[in-house]
Amino acid sequence: MAMAPVNDSVTVHRLIDDPYPVYAQMRAHTPVVQVPSVKRTMLTKAEDCRMVKDNPALFSSNDPTTPMEKAFEAHTLMRKDGEEHLRERNAMMPTFSPRNLKTIWAPMYERYAAEYLDRLPRGEVVDLFPTLAGPLAARILAECMGIPDASDEQMQFWSQALIDGAGNFGWFDEPFERVARANKEMNRVIEGNVERAKAAPDQSALSVMLNAEDPIPWSQIVANIKIAIGGGINEPRDALLTIIYGLLTNPDQLEEIKATGNWSAAFEEGVRWVAPIQASSRLVLEDTEIRGCDIPKGTVVMTIQASANHDEDLYEDGHLYNALRKSQPHQSFGSGPHHCMGTHMARMTVGRLLLPILFERFPNMRLENPEDVVWRGFGFRGPINMPVRLN
Amino acid sequence: MPCITFIAADGAETVVDAGTGDSLMQVARAHNVDGILAECGGEMMCSTCHVYVEGDWLDRTGTADEDERDMLDFAPCEVTDASRLSCQMKITDDMDGLVVRLPERQV
Repeated sequence: MAMAPVNDSVTVHRLIDDPYPVYAQMRAHTPVVQVPSVKRTMLTKAEDCRMVKDNPALFSSNDPTTPMEKAFEAHTLMRKDGEEHLRERNAMMPTFSPRNLKTIWAPMYERYAAEYLDRLPRGEVVDLFPTLAGPLAARILAECMGIPDASDEQMQFWSQALIDGAGNFGWFDEPFERVARANKEMNRVIEGNVERAKAAPDQSALSVMLNAEDPIPWSQIVANIKIAIGGGINEPRDALLTIIYGLLTNPDQLEEIKATGNWSAAFEEGVRWVAPIQASSRLVLEDTEIRGCDIPKGTVVMTIQASANHDEDLYEDGHLYNALRKSQPHQSFGSGPHHCMGTHMARMTVGRLLLPILFERFPNMRLENPEDVVWRGFGFRGPINMPVRLN
Repeated sequence: MPCITFIAADGAETVVDAGTGDSLMQVARAHNVDGILAECGGEMMCSTCHVYVEGDWLDRTGTADEDERDMLDFAPCEVTDASRLSCQMKITDDMDGLVVRLPERQV
């Protein structure tokens, strides 16, 4: 058997700016490929990505070469396996239980959504990234985490700092300095809520973890909250903006969704089309092979769910947004033990609540110049602006 | 090997031999049964492996416990007394002939 081919020509900048044509080429010619610029072996077929995620005994989340530990000032559950991972994950699970989602977080989200939508001006062009998608995701997350005194601005700054720090594969100084500042602030705000959460327990993550019968260590309580901050803002934000773009640039689909009320389909298609988390790393624990290529122990493979979601084996015209396509499974929430904890939260808040409210309130919303929308990101991807005229 | 029949929402039947000790979800995935997504891989976190157990088979498969019922709340299709998460159903020898129906969609 032979090692996977090497692709020397793909740069990180290319992947950040316009990765989909690169992945299409890879799927067609080199579905398993070593990419020196990211120091990973990329897997671009849906079947391979799913196989890796579903097989944690062979493909470990504990990749020691990432800057994540430095950024989070902790070894977090994202980079753990087995019982250790499960214990930390389960500590936070009750917050996201179906009952809590329905009875606490959904009604709260609806109230905040109405409040944030009330602030948007009609008749003029407004960028929904900083005015709606970012702050609303920040607000509900602050409440869920049990740090309601954290401002929308703080939450968004922390989130970006954690993302940039954890993705700082160049090991540059600035992202680490910024995330160090963010960590200091986060630690202060989280600690500042401890007494309140102990005195008046609620269903927030801080309270649930602190007041558990057999609590996890304080360091991991803090780490869990940071993981949620690092992942819980950009993903619903980017998903929302992607779906808005998809629907506004396909008015026939929008009309059909309005008629059927199947906003969940619009949501699922949006996260399939441009996965907010595009790639994940796994450390290979034993020599193995994938699609005929030798994968030695110690290799770090990267599942490219962005590519898996466009795989020609599963989707016709996968590069197009089509909210009316026959429902197909996608890998945007991952699979296996690290399946996204916020999945149900995102499906409910963005898919079932916000989209219908938004398009009901602004039935004639228009994206006048779709070409003005800028997309960016390799590990995480979404539009960085969404200038629409609200009416 | 117990023989299991999956009936899709459109009526298409898939009949497979199942290994005892596996979960029904694992059996479905191993045989590429469409309609079982099993996003979380069997950790009871996602509610995308929902099935309806046919007729009297519930006597042998058992019904969903409280945690499973809570998670079934996330299923997009109607949840009935016959609803189970297939990741929580372990195949035993006395399930030979089991028939389950699949919902129209899992998300």
